[in-house]
Amino acid sequence: MKRVRVLVVDDEENIRLLFKEELEEEDYEVETASNGVEALEKIKVAPFDVVVLDIKMPVMDGIQTLNAIKNINKDQPVILCSAYGEFKQDLSSWVSDGYVVKSADTRELKETIKEILSR
Amino acid sequence: MNQAELIGKIIEISHSNLELTARVNAILNIIAHDLGFDEAIVYTFDKDKRLTCRYANQKSMLFRILSRYRCHIGEGIVGSVAQRRFPQFFTFKDISPRFGCLFYPELDDHLERFRTFSFLPLSDDSYLFGVIVLCSVMRDSLQDQEKVLLSVISRELGGILRAFELILSSKKRISELAMLSELGKILTSNVGPYELLKSIALIIAKSLSASFVSVKLEYPLLKLETQRFTYGMIDPAAKDYVDQLERSAIKLLRPVSLRNGSPEQLDNPPPFSLYSAPILSKMRVLGTITLCGEKSDQHGIEENGQYIINTISNYISSGLENTLLNARLRSVVRELTDAQKRLIEQEKFRSLGEMTANIAHEIKNPLVIIGGFTKRLAKKMQNDHTENRYIDIILNEVTRLETILNEILHYVKENQPYEEFCRLQDFLEDILYIVSSDPAWESVAIVRDFDTALEPVPCDSQQIKQVFINLLMNAFEAMRGTGTITVKTRKVVYDERPFVAISITDTGGGIDPAIIDNIFNPFFTTKERGTGLGLAISNKIVTNHKGHIEVENVAGKGVTFIVHLPMKNNMLQEEFA
Repeated sequence: MKRVRVLVVDDEENIRLLFKEELEEEDYEVETASNGVEALEKIKVAPFDVVVLDIKMPVMDGIQTLNAIKNINKDQPVILCSAYGEFKQDLSSWVSDGYVVKSADTRELKETIKEILSR
Repeated sequence: MNQAELIGKIIEISHSNLELTARVNAILNIIAHDLGFDEAIVYTFDKDKRLTCRYANQKSMLFRILSRYRCHIGEGIVGSVAQRRFPQFFTFKDISPRFGCLFYPELDDHLERFRTFSFLPLSDDSYLFGVIVLCSVMRDSLQDQEKVLLSVISRELGGILRAFELILSSKKRISELAMLSELGKILTSNVGPYELLKSIALIIAKSLSASFVSVKLEYPLLKLETQRFTYGMIDPAAKDYVDQLERSAIKLLRPVSLRNGSPEQLDNPPPFSLYSAPILSKMRVLGTITLCGEKSDQHGIEENGQYIINTISNYISSGLENTLLNARLRSVVRELTDAQKRLIEQEKFRSLGEMTANIAHEIKNPLVIIGGFTKRLAKKMQNDHTENRYIDIILNEVTRLETILNEILHYVKENQPYEEFCRLQDFLEDILYIVSSDPAWESVAIVRDFDTALEPVPCDSQQIKQVFINLLMNAFEAMRGTGTITVKTRKVVYDERPFVAISITDTGGGIDPAIIDNIFNPFFTTKERGTGLGLAISNKIVTNHKGHIEVENVAGKGVTFIVHLPMKNNMLQEEFA
């Protein structure tokens, strides 16, 4: 069976490392990108089963990246993952498939990924 | 003594400094003595235009009898001379003249003695000041020359009386002017309403020498402790009359006195005079002002006071209205100052909040990393008891920090409430059910006192729920888990607008009054592990709903937090206001 591919996009190296290790424990194939531009390039090469996208990033923030991804492939599932829940009210974030508040406790993230995969 | 000398003497007396009565009596003595009259009597007018016998020569016998009666103009000979302003002379051959009135039985014995009677008006060209009566026992008739002399003398007497009246009325005017100027000073000053009303009563009482002056406000206009301001003592016997007059002055909207205008006829008029005038402003009756005259001065207060009181009651009303406006202005200024203070506070917290939010953002990522890897570390640790405990402590602290950061960001965030009509008692029930199902709440009694007729209230149910949860948790913690929490909903009117008031009362001993001003400040906490944001957030949510939270603190007993939410959505109204 083909392994689930997950792309973690975050400007913070240790966050990428934490999510990568945590998600690999779920037996996902995890790739990382440190900003929106890099993420778009990887998505163009091959779609992922889920993209976990940080919002506050330099160069191109999460919301812009999200819209760019959806323009390329509107079926690409994206989970927004930010330090706080404040963007839930932002209409442009509604096109994302999930929203997770970034936390040391990664259970919510994992459950959201599972939920999207089961759709 | 020849006529010229006589007139000279009279003029000398009339220009002297003697008191009025002394001057008139002295002249009457001269007339009686030098011209051979036994009676020289002068009638003057009372304030009610009735003739009274006031002056007489020293030897007069009739004065004591005549002075007991007062007569109207046109009544008897005195009255008719006054009316026609023309002298009349009688001799014993005529029918004996009736003096003041038609029936004067006591006079009959005396009148027979006299052989001539002369009645002359005391007048100048335009005014009549009285009537002089001259009677003689010896003389059978008067010569024409004497009649002319008498009319000259009566003009002089009229002049004396006129000068006296002028002095009296100018004195009165001067005292009125003095009073008006005093009143003007008080009314244009910015003394408080209490001082103002007290001073008004004092000035009027002094000026009119009233035994008391009482200003009564009709309704609690100025939030004063008393509605009556009196200078002097209200005679207990006068109290009922005062009340009655004040009522009829307000009912009739015009001045009233005991004799005039009081609705009930008084059979036994009391031994004082009262005068009560309404204080009217353009829109309403503000109150009444009542004067009481001395017992000796039966009608004086009414006569003297009438004009002046009617005039100044207008001043008083505008003074009162000004004071009212002033008070309102002051409260508006106070509100504005408060609002400004709040705005500055808000601005302060907003900029502080922005900084805090940025810091919180920056802290969040490292915290996630610390926490995340500590969790990973924990998974790899093998059963070492001590190390596992250390890891647990790190994780607990990370969780705590995350909670604080979340709350800070929640507070800082400008969340416009999403309003829908909610049935408050329903979700209060939900919340109470959830919290009380926690075993820790076992010793907490919850009393529900809901207004079941309460209409749905526009609010963001998620945010308002958070407010009640915060307040309930505070109550729980204040009582250390044991006590009674009373939750009450009521409809109230605040600032003329309908509000629903939800109060949560605990029995936790209350808040220390020294810190009560700080409880809504962010980061202020009395709890060991509190963030100091619960009440700050609750307050902000309620304020965003155009409501407010009120605190009733009974130190030693407990606290009631009352959340006021507007019943109708008045955001629109405010925009147009």
